Amino acid sequence: MASQEKRKVAVTGIGLVTPIGNDAPTTWANLQAGKNGAATTQSFDASGFSTTFSAEVKDFDPETAVPNPKMLKYASRSHGFALAAAAEALADAGIAPTDEDSHRWGLAVGAGMMSVAYDDLKVVYDHATDDGYFDSDGLADPSFPANPVNFCRWQSNAGLGLLTKQFGIRGYSTSVHTACASGGQAVGSALKAMRRGQCDYMLAGGFDSMINPIGISGFCLLGALSTDNDNPAGASRPFDKTRNGFVLGEGAGFLVLEDWDKAVARGATIYAELAGDGNSLSCYRITDSPPDGNGPIQAIEQALGDAGITAADVDYVNAHGTSTQMNDRSECAALKHVFAGRVDEVKVSSTKSCTGHLIAAAGAVEAAVCCLSIRDGIAPFNANYGEPDPDCDVNLVLEKPQPGRIRAALSNSLGFGGSNSSLVFRNPESVNSKEANS
Amino acid sequence: MSNCDEKIVFTGSGIVCGAGASVDDVWSTLISGETSVAPYTQWDGEKWPVKVASEVKENNRTLVPDRKLHKTISRTDMFGIYAAEKAVENSGLLEHRGELGEEETAAFNDRTGLIVGSGGGNYTSNYDYLPLIHEAKGELPAFGKELSAQVTPMWLLKNLPNNVLCHVGIRGQFKGTNACITNQCASGIMAVAESASAILNDEADRIIAAGHDAPFEPEMVLYYHKLGLMSGEAPRPFDEARNGTVFGEGAAAVTLEKASDAEARGANVLGEFLGWGCCSEATGVLDLEPDGDGVKRAVEQALNDAGLEPSDIGMICAHGNGTPASDLSEAIGIGRVFGDDIPPVTGFKWAYGHLIGASGIADIVMTLEALKQKTLPGVATLKKVDDEISAFPVSSASTAPRSNKALVICRGFGGMNVAVIVSAG
Repeated sequence: MASQEKRKVAVTGIGLVTPIGNDAPTTWANLQAGKNGAATTQSFDASGFSTTFSAEVKDFDPETAVPNPKMLKYASRSHGFALAAAAEALADAGIAPTDEDSHRWGLAVGAGMMSVAYDDLKVVYDHATDDGYFDSDGLADPSFPANPVNFCRWQSNAGLGLLTKQFGIRGYSTSVHTACASGGQAVGSALKAMRRGQCDYMLAGGFDSMINPIGISGFCLLGALSTDNDNPAGASRPFDKTRNGFVLGEGAGFLVLEDWDKAVARGATIYAELAGDGNSLSCYRITDSPPDGNGPIQAIEQALGDAGITAADVDYVNAHGTSTQMNDRSECAALKHVFAGRVDEVKVSSTKSCTGHLIAAAGAVEAAVCCLSIRDGIAPFNANYGEPDPDCDVNLVLEKPQPGRIRAALSNSLGFGGSNSSLVFRNPESVNSKEANS
Repeated sequence: MSNCDEKIVFTGSGIVCGAGASVDDVWSTLISGETSVAPYTQWDGEKWPVKVASEVKENNRTLVPDRKLHKTISRTDMFGIYAAEKAVENSGLLEHRGELGEEETAAFNDRTGLIVGSGGGNYTSNYDYLPLIHEAKGELPAFGKELSAQVTPMWLLKNLPNNVLCHVGIRGQFKGTNACITNQCASGIMAVAESASAILNDEADRIIAAGHDAPFEPEMVLYYHKLGLMSGEAPRPFDEARNGTVFGEGAAAVTLEKASDAEARGANVLGEFLGWGCCSEATGVLDLEPDGDGVKRAVEQALNDAGLEPSDIGMICAHGNGTPASDLSEAIGIGRVFGDDIPPVTGFKWAYGHLIGASGIADIVMTLEALKQKTLPGVATLKKVDDEISAFPVSSASTAPRSNKALVICRGFGGMNVAVIVSAG
């Protein structure tokens, strides 16, 4: 539809903190090995909850990645993941904002859920309740230990504030939250800001950590989590007929995006072109995706159109694939509609089968996975698959990763609230040869 | 905006805040010089250091009549849904859609976007867990076991930051491009700017942009007070005696579309979106640059985007939150762009308090009205302009804008600065 040439945007750096690895190379190696990140929850006593396990980030020390104690004092657990993943992405790209170009650097983040930490709520309980009910006078009492650091951590754009300061990013900055679609929408927002010329470089990604008593409560109440408490590692089984809910994960993923010509000029290693973004609202139900795929279909088609390619050019789909009954069925209906005759050829997998669901970080982590898949010509596999579901008969990559050149990869993120985000990444060789650009 | 010939216009608006639940009512407050900041009623302020706010007075069912919907939304969502649906109603879009055939309607819905700036979370919603903590005697295993007996299954859904996006979407069947921006004070104004950019970029034909927030709650007041950001009376932006801000609550929304579409359907045009700028000062969550660096750069970006000179701007609606550091640096930043030729400046937080996530979009809605009325309401609480910025053209009296173009500035935590230029009248 757009007549003028779109500015090309390169992905030149990747950083990840996930339940299966505290950096990108480890996460990528463990995805290929099919390692699973879920286990009985360690960070608090979850034994009384209907779901007692989760996919936690393990042995994470933010100070290794960000040796800045003053900054980390203001960082929540998910902000620590974000700072570490962003630092890795910038180091990987071999570029960082300078005094001369910091105003041309931007930031787009998918920020995690803003619920209050259990310990902070316990302080409110101890000082400002009467028989379990909130009593505002308790807060006004001088004995209430109000800690402004906690207040800062809890601000909706605290992650943005910490990241821009840590890395000296002084241009366009945005923070978005569309639940499980946040990370994908953040990367899409970054692409748009780059294309309209607001930035030449961007740090784009997402971060989240809801593995805490309040975070996990919200999902337990909704019955959205798998309750396979005796088999955590097998609980996330997207597209399997017996799937029974998602596995809550945590972490962060960041990409460094760069004007294509500038990246080429400095001899940067380009993982992929971030070529297209699609974005729609299902307008169906808050927690469910429509069974016929109406909503996700428009997002995927827009992303392909935005990238200037068609369904015929896509070799791999990193599915949203949460392992809930409704999501996986809806997403497959959308894939069948979009890929039609090619649905048996296009490789599909949900890497949530290994990482669990990183909520606001999921789309960003999976965008990075698409870039790594393109670089290495390897489609990661959909672990824990046993029983086929006739509603989900797409071409799943099973049992082991599948080698084969990937011309273009599609990443889907479908959120609570009905926001759908699709991103298209193209192989740099395809971009250079103008292949698939018909 | 320069690489596109299409003009983006406003064809509808809606607002609810302590100063009223319509553009006309809020305008009356701005012109009357009477602030809506008053002793609050949502909790007993007797023992509190801060006893005032600008509270929305309309009851829940007046704002959102659907009784069932109230089970799945929070107070801030109620404001957002009300304002967004007023902006839709005001634009006449639904009447237009009603005249389309089935296929055209589907295409219309797919090309209608929704971008919402949301306050994010709030403290009070988490208090739903306090009876459970009590019941569990502070023990986590018991907390987990008793969870479903004590807390509503809808808790998470009631508190999704993107609730306004999904409910306005479902109710209106607006299925196009969408976003929920959670960028603290900058959320609402960015929703407007991102909407205009998205239409120019052909991602949608029309977008409803909304911003909503309900920052007025005990813990927020407490922390703002502890940080020295809160005044005990209506804010006095740019005054030598200013001592902080005061919370308001509410929402505002606008409908944006291509000028050619608006003309074709005979829509009433409220004004035009001309350009915007956005930057961070990279100063962390709370701090800001004393030299107005971010204000200067955001305003320069907006002028450049709109293809305008500083002398083209007829009025400025400043962020003016009434805190000493923010107002001073804002005035300095404005001075660095406009030199000694600053157009008349105003700001509206004295009248309806600080709406945080909804503040910038509320200011846009009321600035469009000011341009239409060719009247710039004064800052009624201003007594004497701060000596450090004595030449700053802000006044307690109303005056006339010097052209039909206005600059709206919005600043926020995270070192955020956003500037938007609109025209009307």
